[in-house]
Amino acid sequence: MSTATTLPDAPEFPGGSRLQRFAWNVRHHPKRELWFAWYVMVVFYNLYGVLFFLVTRVQPPPSPDWDTPLVVQWFDEHHLGLLTGFGVVFLISGMCAPMNALLAYSMWRMSVSRVFAYSYLIMYSLAALPGMLVMAIAMTVGALRADRDPELIVWMYDFAFLSFSGTMGVFLVGSVVWLVAILLDKNNVFPKWFAYLGLCNALTEVVVAPAWIFQRGAFAWNGAIAWWINMVVFILYTAAFIVLLRRMIEREDFGTGPLPDPAAKAEPVKAAR
Amino acid sequence: MTNLAESEHVTVPPRRVPGQPDMWLFVLFEAMLFTGYFSVYLALRTQNEDLFLQSQADLDLRVGVFNTIVLLSSSWAVARCVRAARAGQYRSAMTFAAATVGFGVVFAIFKVGEWIHEIRLGNTFTSSEFFQHYYFLTSLHLIHVLIGFIVLGVLIYQLRSPLRRSQELVETCATYWHTVDFLWVMIFAMLYIVR
Repeated sequence: MSTATTLPDAPEFPGGSRLQRFAWNVRHHPKRELWFAWYVMVVFYNLYGVLFFLVTRVQPPPSPDWDTPLVVQWFDEHHLGLLTGFGVVFLISGMCAPMNALLAYSMWRMSVSRVFAYSYLIMYSLAALPGMLVMAIAMTVGALRADRDPELIVWMYDFAFLSFSGTMGVFLVGSVVWLVAILLDKNNVFPKWFAYLGLCNALTEVVVAPAWIFQRGAFAWNGAIAWWINMVVFILYTAAFIVLLRRMIEREDFGTGPLPDPAAKAEPVKAAR
Repeated sequence: MTNLAESEHVTVPPRRVPGQPDMWLFVLFEAMLFTGYFSVYLALRTQNEDLFLQSQADLDLRVGVFNTIVLLSSSWAVARCVRAARAGQYRSAMTFAAATVGFGVVFAIFKVGEWIHEIRLGNTFTSSEFFQHYYFLTSLHLIHVLIGFIVLGVLIYQLRSPLRRSQELVETCATYWHTVDFLWVMIFAMLYIVR
């Protein structure tokens, strides 16, 4: 049986303009912290896509097989995009904290040990380094120090892409922690199929390891297997958990038992839309 | 008349897939993922057919056939396990589950043995494009087999106590193992048979 607690009392919604409704939600909505973290996640992933794919043009990754003049030329051509894009990346990197907190909260809400939430939180606190910041630092250095020895620029290029594409271990273990929590959970926080999708995602994280060895072909950091298929699975996985986290927040009753079925039970306190 | 009246009230149980429906989504995810890997393999093969054929000649078809028979036997054993559990014969179900693990272990030993043999021949992960795919597909599959051992461990653990037994879980675990077998048959066809 669910031991649901009553949602915190909120004052009567006064009505009014869109801005007033927004202000009321910010001050009184019982799930405002969860919704805040969720919207941060949506904004972050949209920015991440725009910055990495369109502004800096580091994704899809350029060839690992280029010689020194080509790499130097690439830095020269992308100078402005790299500085602008990664400047914004440095600014938004703090958004990872509420995102990771929400992911850990999902495990906190499950009927499993707190160890899952804590270990996931610690791992993903570190994940921003290989997943974003190391590349941002190396690329910014390469773009800002164009006058240095070209061999050092190539070193930065390799360091940036190998750190980004080749260090998926933390994401692999994170996916496994989350999927095991979901499989053990009795509170139905997430559907079991998402755990199985997590297993597929974890296995594709293994596949990028050969990027350290090969400079061309399907297993290079821009290869059909190491990057393209991996990216498709990652996008599907990310889209799935964003939608499922939204459903979790909608169903959240701040209890300790199974999350209520949204069709069976309406929220005691409605958000002002 | 009574029989007719009774038959009118007989309700046909709803059709359902064996085990958790979610596990069948996993089968779908895996099938799509490996279709992607196979497509890349076949596309690269068409670009360099001679090299692929030359490298492929170093594989021992007998080992591939033997491993296929072993995994098909493991699938048979897990199917018998499901049938026995359905009939309430849990001791027999556990025996078949243990046999499935045994076949899986034999498969893993022969797979690692085959890798050692190929490495001694000079066919390593970096020696040719064919062997990149060979080691990639077979090692990814072996990871599935190792995860399968955990799944079968859960299955045996559940079967051991009457308090934990769940037919749905038995079928879910069996579905995972059949997926492992299905993937191997595809990999075997791609790497050993397609010429």
